[in-house]
Amino acid sequence: MTAPLIAVDDLTIDYGRQPAACHRAVDGVSFDIRPGEVLGLAGESGSGKSTVAYALLARRRPGSRIVSGRILFEGEDILPLPERQVRLLRGGRIGFVPQNPATSLTPSMPVGRQIVETIEIHGVARGAAARRLAEDLLARVHLPEPQALARRYPHQLSGGQQQRVLIAMALACRPRLLVLDEPTTGLDVTTQAQILTLLADIRAEFATAMLYVSHDLAALGRLADRIAVMKDGRLVEIGPTASIVGSPRQPYTRVLLAALPDLDRPPAGVTDDAAKRNGGEGKPLLEIDGLVAAYRGEGLSAIWRRPPPTVRDVSFSIRRGETFALIGESGSGKSTIARAILGLTPHRRGGVRFDGRDLPADARRWQGEWRRRIQIVFQNPDASLNPRHSVAAILGRPLERFFGLRGRDRRLRAAELLESVRLDPAFLDRRPDQLSGGQRQRVAIARALAAEPEVLICDEVLSALDVSVQAEILALLRTLQAERHLTYLFISHDLAVVRWFAQSVGVLHRGEFCALGPVEEVFSPPHHPYTARLLAAVPRISAPDDNAGRPAKAWFGGPARASSTV
Amino acid sequence: MTLLLSAAPRNIGRRPSLTGGFAALLLAAFFAIAIAGPWLVPFDPAAIGAGMPFEPPSWQHPFGTDNFGRDVFSRVVIGTRQALATGLAATGLAVIVGTALGLWLAHRRGIVDEIVARILDVLISMPPLIMALLAVSVFGSNPALVVLTVAVLFAPRVARVVRAAALTVVTEDYVTAALLRGETTLAIVLRELLPNVAGTVFVEFSIRTGYAIVMIGSLSFLGFGSPPPTPEWGLMINEGYAAVNASFWPVLAPTAAMALLVIAVNLFTDDVSRLIGHSGPVEARR
Repeated sequence: MTAPLIAVDDLTIDYGRQPAACHRAVDGVSFDIRPGEVLGLAGESGSGKSTVAYALLARRRPGSRIVSGRILFEGEDILPLPERQVRLLRGGRIGFVPQNPATSLTPSMPVGRQIVETIEIHGVARGAAARRLAEDLLARVHLPEPQALARRYPHQLSGGQQQRVLIAMALACRPRLLVLDEPTTGLDVTTQAQILTLLADIRAEFATAMLYVSHDLAALGRLADRIAVMKDGRLVEIGPTASIVGSPRQPYTRVLLAALPDLDRPPAGVTDDAAKRNGGEGKPLLEIDGLVAAYRGEGLSAIWRRPPPTVRDVSFSIRRGETFALIGESGSGKSTIARAILGLTPHRRGGVRFDGRDLPADARRWQGEWRRRIQIVFQNPDASLNPRHSVAAILGRPLERFFGLRGRDRRLRAAELLESVRLDPAFLDRRPDQLSGGQRQRVAIARALAAEPEVLICDEVLSALDVSVQAEILALLRTLQAERHLTYLFISHDLAVVRWFAQSVGVLHRGEFCALGPVEEVFSPPHHPYTARLLAAVPRISAPDDNAGRPAKAWFGGPARASSTV
Repeated sequence: MTLLLSAAPRNIGRRPSLTGGFAALLLAAFFAIAIAGPWLVPFDPAAIGAGMPFEPPSWQHPFGTDNFGRDVFSRVVIGTRQALATGLAATGLAVIVGTALGLWLAHRRGIVDEIVARILDVLISMPPLIMALLAVSVFGSNPALVVLTVAVLFAPRVARVVRAAALTVVTEDYVTAALLRGETTLAIVLRELLPNVAGTVFVEFSIRTGYAIVMIGSLSFLGFGSPPPTPEWGLMINEGYAAVNASFWPVLAPTAAMALLVIAVNLFTDDVSRLIGHSGPVEARR
C-alpha cells in the first residue's frame, strides 16, 4: 500500500466563538486519500461534509474554528501554514471545484483570461504560453472550439460549460488532489452524467486524487473508489464503494440508500398500488390546449421586443384526482407552463380550461374562486415564504382572504393545517429562518392547502431538499392526495420520482412535448430518443446480485459514455 | 450545508462599535438639547445687548457675543431645535414619498416602471443646491417651503435606492403567492415588500438626514429660510462672517455645531448599516 496523499487526523471544527453557544460541525473525523484515489464524501445538509472539504484547502468557513486535528498533505501539516504558503497550495497542488459555477466565475472577465490568471499566479507559464495552456485545458475538459470559447464571458456559457471551465481552472497547475464540493448539484441529469464522465476521464489521464463531496450516493457510486458517510459531524462509515452501496453496515447509510429514488424500484413508503393505475376519473379538470408562452422581457427593450416563446404549442389534460408530471431538463419550459397556467406570463396564447371554464391569461383578472381552487407550491421554500412573517401569519393570510377567518378561529385552523402536514402546531410562532428546509417546504404546502384547493401545482418541490427529506415530502404529498382527493401537476427533473409518483407524464424538450402519455408507456421502450437520453442519464444504484460476473468497476450503472458537449 | 450556515451564529463580530456608540450618545445629546433648549439658555437668543458686541468667550458668554451683543451660546442652543426639526421633516417627507414611489415602481414593473425610473435618473442628475435655489427664488422663502423643496429634491434619490432594493424582493415567490391570492397592490407593498426593505429605508433615512441638515443650512446661509433675528445656524454664519475679523466665535460656534451633528448622524448610520448588512466570507485568520 502506498503512503496516503492526504491524511485527515481527528479533525474537529466548531461554529461560534463562545464555548457555550458553539455548534460542533465536524467531530473527530479521520480518513486518508491515496494518490490517484477518488474518495466520495456523502451526507445530508448540515452533516459537516462541506466544512471538511474546505478544511482540506486549509480554509475556514465564516464563523468556524478548528478545535483540534491535523491535515497532512504529502506528509506536511497544512493547517498551521501561513496564508502565503496556503495560497500557493490552493489552486497549485490542491485544486478546488465549487458547487455553484455561476457565482464562482468573475462575470466581467472572459473565461480564458480567468484561467490564464490562475496559471500566471502560480507561475506555471506566462503570456502566450499561458494562453496556449489555457486553451489546451479547455480542450481537455471537452469544450468545443476552445479558442473561441476562451473569449466568452461566463453568462454566455451554460451551467455545464461553466462547470467545465472551473474544472479546467482547477487542473491548471496539475494538482495532485482535486476537491469537488457538490460539483453537479445545480445541473440537470444529462449534464451531470457528462460531468461525471469527464471527471472519470481526468482521473484516468492525470491520475489525480479526488475528494468528491455530494449528497447523492448514486452519483458517488459512479465515480468513487471508496465512500465515506457523514452524519451530524461524525464519520459513520467508510469503505470501498462496492461494500457501502452493496452491503452497508450502518443503519444511517441504509436510510440514505433507501431514500434514493430509483427507476427500478418504488421508493420507501410509496407502494405501487392499484389505485394509482386507475388514475383520475371522469372529465378532465384542467385542459391545456395549444399553449404558447414566454417569459417577461427585462429592461426598456421589452417594450418593443417580445422574447421568443419558451413554450410552443403544448396541449394536455388532467383528470380529477390524477397526477400529471412534466419532466425535462432545465430550460425546457416546465416552470413556464406552470406560470402560464396561473396567468403569470405575458402574451399567453392558447386555451387553459379549468372545470369547463376558460381561465384568463392574466392572473389579475381571475375570480376569487379560481384563485382558491388552484394553488401552487414553489421549488425553493427559502424564497416562497416571507422571511419577515411568522408561520401563523403565512398560513393565516389565505384563511382570512378565502374564508374570512379571523382571530382565534384563524389560529386554530392554521394549527390544524400544520398538523395535516405533520408539523408541530408550536411552529406557528416561528419564522421561516427558524425552520429546516424540509419544514419550510411543509409550511409552503400547508399554505397552499389553506385554500382547500382542487389542483395543486408542484413546481420542482423536491429539488431544493435532501434525499431523505425528499422521500418524506413525497410520502406527504401522496397521503394528502388520498385524503383530499387532490389533482397534481407535478413538475420535476427527477425521472425516478415521476416514474413512481405520476400516472401521466409529458416529456418537454425545448418547449415542446416529445413524449406524452401514461407513465408506463412513456417509460417503457421504444423511447423517443430524447426520453431515452434522459433515462440513460439517471444514476442508478444496482443491487449486488445484478452485477454478478461483471468487473468490480461496474458498480456504477448509467450511460456507457455520454456525449461530451454540453 | 445551507442548514449549517444558518445554524452558525449570524452576527459574529457584529456589535455596535465604539464610534457608533459615541455617535449615538452625541445624537441623543442633540435631541435633548433641542427639546430642553429654552430651559438651558442663560439669555434670550434675540436679546440685543446681552453683552458688549464681539465679546470673547467668558463664563457668562461661553461662545462670546455677536455684532449685536447677543449671546452666541444661547443662539446656537436654541437653533438646534430648528436644525433638527427641519432636517428630519424634510428627510421624513422625502423618505415617505420616495419609499412609496420606489416600492410601487418595483411592484408595477413593465413600461411604466422603466419610463418613471429613467425620469427619476434625469431628476437626480440635476445639481440639488441649484435646483433648490431656483425653487425658493420662485416660490419665496420661509422654513416650510425650504423643507418642502428639500423633500421634493431628495424623494427621487430615495425612490431610486428603494426601487433597486425592492426589485430583488418582487421576484421572490412569496410575492407571486400574494399576487395569486389576489392581494391588492397596497397589501403587497405593505405586507410583502416593505418589511423586506425596511433596513434599506432606515439607512436611507439616516444618510439623507445628514445631507438635509447641510442643505437647509446652506440655503439659510444664502438667505433663504427664516428671516433675522431667528437663531438659525446657517443664518448665524451668514451674519457673522462679515465681521469674522472682529470675532470668529459667532461663525465658529454654529459651524461646529452643524458639523458635529452631521458627523454624529453619519457615524451612527455607518454603524447601523454595518449591523443590519451582510458581511462577506471570512478567510482563515490564524
